[in-house]
Amino acid sequence: MSSGTEISNNISYAQALQNFLKQTEFPARELAIDEAALLERFHPDHNQENIETLQVGPNKGEPCHKQIARFLQADSRIDAADLAGARIQETDILVIGGGGAGCAAALTAAEKGAKVILATKLRLGDSNTVMAEGGIQAAIEKGDTPQSHYDDTYQAGHQQGKKELIKQLVMDGPETIRWLIQQGMQFDVDEFGDLLTRKAGGSSASRVVSFRDYTGLEMMRVLREAVDNSNIDVWHYSPAVELLSNESGHCAGAIISTLHNGRFVQINAREVIIATGGIGRVHLNQFATSNHFGATGDGLVLAYRLGAKLRELDSFQYHPTGVAFPQHLSGTLITEGVRSAGAYLINALGERFVDELKPRDIVAAAIIRECEQGRGVTGDDGIRGVWLDTPGLEARHPGILQQRFPKLLQLGVKSKIDIRSTPMLVYPTLHYQNGGVVIDSNSLSSVPGLYCVGEVSGGIHGRNRLMGNALLEIISFGRRAGAEAASQCQSRGHKKIGITHISNLRRELMQHGMSMTTKAPLLFPDYVHYDTDSQEDGNFGFGD
Amino acid sequence: MIDKVLLHPDSLGNSLLNWFKGYGGTGLENALSEPASIISLIEMAGLRGLGGSGYPAHLKWQAVADQTPNPDKYLICNGNEDEPGTFKDACLLSTTPHQVIEGALIAAVANQINKIVFYINPQQKNSLDNIRYGLEQWQQSELYARVEQFLIEPLSIEVMASSGHYIGGEETAAIESVEGKFPFPRGKPPFPADSGVHGCPTLVNNIETLANVPHIMRRGAKWFSELGRGESSGTKLYCLSGDVLHPGVYELPMGTPLSELIFTHGGGMLLGKKLKAVFTGGVSSTILTPKDLDVPLDFDSVHTRGSSLGTGAMIVVSEGTGIVKQVTEYVNFYAHSSCGQCPSCKTGTYYISQLLNKIDTGRASDADLDALVDLCKILPGSGLCHLLDGAIKIVDSSMRHFVDEYKNSLN
Repeated sequence: MSSGTEISNNISYAQALQNFLKQTEFPARELAIDEAALLERFHPDHNQENIETLQVGPNKGEPCHKQIARFLQADSRIDAADLAGARIQETDILVIGGGGAGCAAALTAAEKGAKVILATKLRLGDSNTVMAEGGIQAAIEKGDTPQSHYDDTYQAGHQQGKKELIKQLVMDGPETIRWLIQQGMQFDVDEFGDLLTRKAGGSSASRVVSFRDYTGLEMMRVLREAVDNSNIDVWHYSPAVELLSNESGHCAGAIISTLHNGRFVQINAREVIIATGGIGRVHLNQFATSNHFGATGDGLVLAYRLGAKLRELDSFQYHPTGVAFPQHLSGTLITEGVRSAGAYLINALGERFVDELKPRDIVAAAIIRECEQGRGVTGDDGIRGVWLDTPGLEARHPGILQQRFPKLLQLGVKSKIDIRSTPMLVYPTLHYQNGGVVIDSNSLSSVPGLYCVGEVSGGIHGRNRLMGNALLEIISFGRRAGAEAASQCQSRGHKKIGITHISNLRRELMQHGMSMTTKAPLLFPDYVHYDTDSQEDGNFGFGD
Repeated sequence: MIDKVLLHPDSLGNSLLNWFKGYGGTGLENALSEPASIISLIEMAGLRGLGGSGYPAHLKWQAVADQTPNPDKYLICNGNEDEPGTFKDACLLSTTPHQVIEGALIAAVANQINKIVFYINPQQKNSLDNIRYGLEQWQQSELYARVEQFLIEPLSIEVMASSGHYIGGEETAAIESVEGKFPFPRGKPPFPADSGVHGCPTLVNNIETLANVPHIMRRGAKWFSELGRGESSGTKLYCLSGDVLHPGVYELPMGTPLSELIFTHGGGMLLGKKLKAVFTGGVSSTILTPKDLDVPLDFDSVHTRGSSLGTGAMIVVSEGTGIVKQVTEYVNFYAHSSCGQCPSCKTGTYYISQLLNKIDTGRASDADLDALVDLCKILPGSGLCHLLDGAIKIVDSSMRHFVDEYKNSLN
């Protein structure tokens, strides 16, 4: 079958939908494939044109995605001149980022008696945590073990993960679920009240616990309440624009820009925890993203400037099933849970073309392959994708969509599609930064006093992350970082605090003859126009 | 071509054999053959204390040499170095330990010292390792045995990490520290030469001062005094930092003009900005402004500009930097570093830093500025050591040069 009207070889949306609805059985093409070759040819990470070598900083000489290298080798947004007259605030621990990882770290540190400021770019909970739909992994079922959780995580990461971190992650799993329940988080349970689990792509056992298809949102609900009920000082609309350091290079706080009046505040802190999330809103390789608006990789830039080593800067996760149509929702995530529950991926020819529960990079590469080889569905404005067979899932398990995937049904309503009878068009969406700041098992980076938790850190997921491991990571490592930072902040404080590392950065950039026109951190995507550096009093349209 | 002495390639490295190959050891041999003339040679050379005071080295030495051991005599080689912008001793100890050790041995010969303590900032792991390794090699050497023969008793040499407090670099505080106590500075007199470590006569010299000694002993006083420009003697390690393109340690003739240091050796200002001020000598001194760019960087010339050379640190600040903010940071450092034994210092530095912060953030009134001016008048000289004076000096000099910036910051 071939397309008549489209320029590409792909098949038009209307035509393909018609074909799909006529079909009742979907034959599977040969599903056994050479995975390495598939990734090599179709996964965006493997496109060498997007990679360049870093010229300055701790990762000098190592490969990095071009769009990230641009920010890592950019000029600072501030100057010593901006700090004259800046208010100074003292605290024990500064947490930068108000998602799940930041809250978990702040809560634990505050519990241990530290004075904590949590500064977040937007509002508490404006994060990717609330977007996490699928669930959280923990080896809690009979017959499952942390060892097999470890094996799955290590294998899915193409054996590139740091073993001690993975060990810590999987061992923390059951205790993390218990802690979340104690905080008041709800999970789906069976008729006996036992936690329901399901199997994630790339996993050997049924290990994902969840709440409907908005697990992250439920997690954030309880974390936010807990923070509200603690003595943590929460600063909204307060992105960090630079870190501070002391005389021996120990991190000593941050410069915060307050969006509601455009002023800078200097927060002097004994220890700093960065939990700023990922980098999806940089739209690597022009991919749509499932990420929250604030995911602009700020933490990577701040930590790198202070001398923190980064890793896997060329490895990202493209979630296989992002919405491809309608266009205004493009990039929105459709949970892997739907595939775990048994939904198929179908190409325009009406074939299954991949084992839907393979690790995410394989499935995403397979979808890209279908589209590039003319077996995808195309629409106007370059939309392309394959079908997610929700009607088939509903037919095999009547009522399952309503009961377990209400958010997805709602997404269908927004798209004017009844997903119980009509499939959605999906295409990989930029979802997760696999690498990040190198950390140890307490989440401490290579810079003393600087901890990194959650997506901004690297090493746990190797070059590909398993579903459900991100939510586990943010709580497990968030709590570890919070406890460790609290135990370290008993000293008398820093002797000399400043931003001398910025002069060093500028020096290095000048000596390498590099352009200083780009300023970083980005703070907001290019298509949003907040004048974040304005010193004028003014309102940015946010309440406070 | 600039004639490097301390950082000459022949002086570098931690192998004693190499040091001996490149004329090392000759200075000590000369000292052993004519011990009585060492101090007069140092005097003729015009060597001064390079840790910040600029006090003639031979006077300190003579005072110790005149004492009789009680029962010992101590030498403290002061490498506590903790001032902002100063990193020359770390550079010396980690790249060229042997000239420092030889200098200390010559001092022992000249003053009949039998106990030497290398007193080094604990942050400087490299320095500590290098000096320990260096000493191990010296103790195997024949020259070392000759020093012990000369002293008629075994020489005791200890390497100790200081407590890391800034105040621990003050000479009497260093003595307390060597005695195993918290580095509280002592009142003077008695001076260390009369009563230092455990009451024994004690010589405290900066690392850079000692490093110059073997070269003077080998090449003579005339050679050394001709190295400097104008009236000055020898070379100086300048620590250049702040908003310049190439910060670092530069060994230049004593008396090199400030402009040459910044623009010729330092590569000029970062981002091509205008120079606003230079904080000299770490913080225990004052501010130079663009009109002082021609000043020769030696103790006396800088002093005539109302500032002091101090350790030779030059922290360069460019246009756009808030002076009040910068000074606040320095005073915060003093407040943090005050040992707390003198009430005037403990509370004085704290109040000054609070007042400065208030001024910097636009919350202060005229009365606050007046209070600051008053404090600067009544506090100096009221502490046992010079920490409080240092804090006042920098506030005072910043107000002298940038008073408008203070006034404009008032509410």
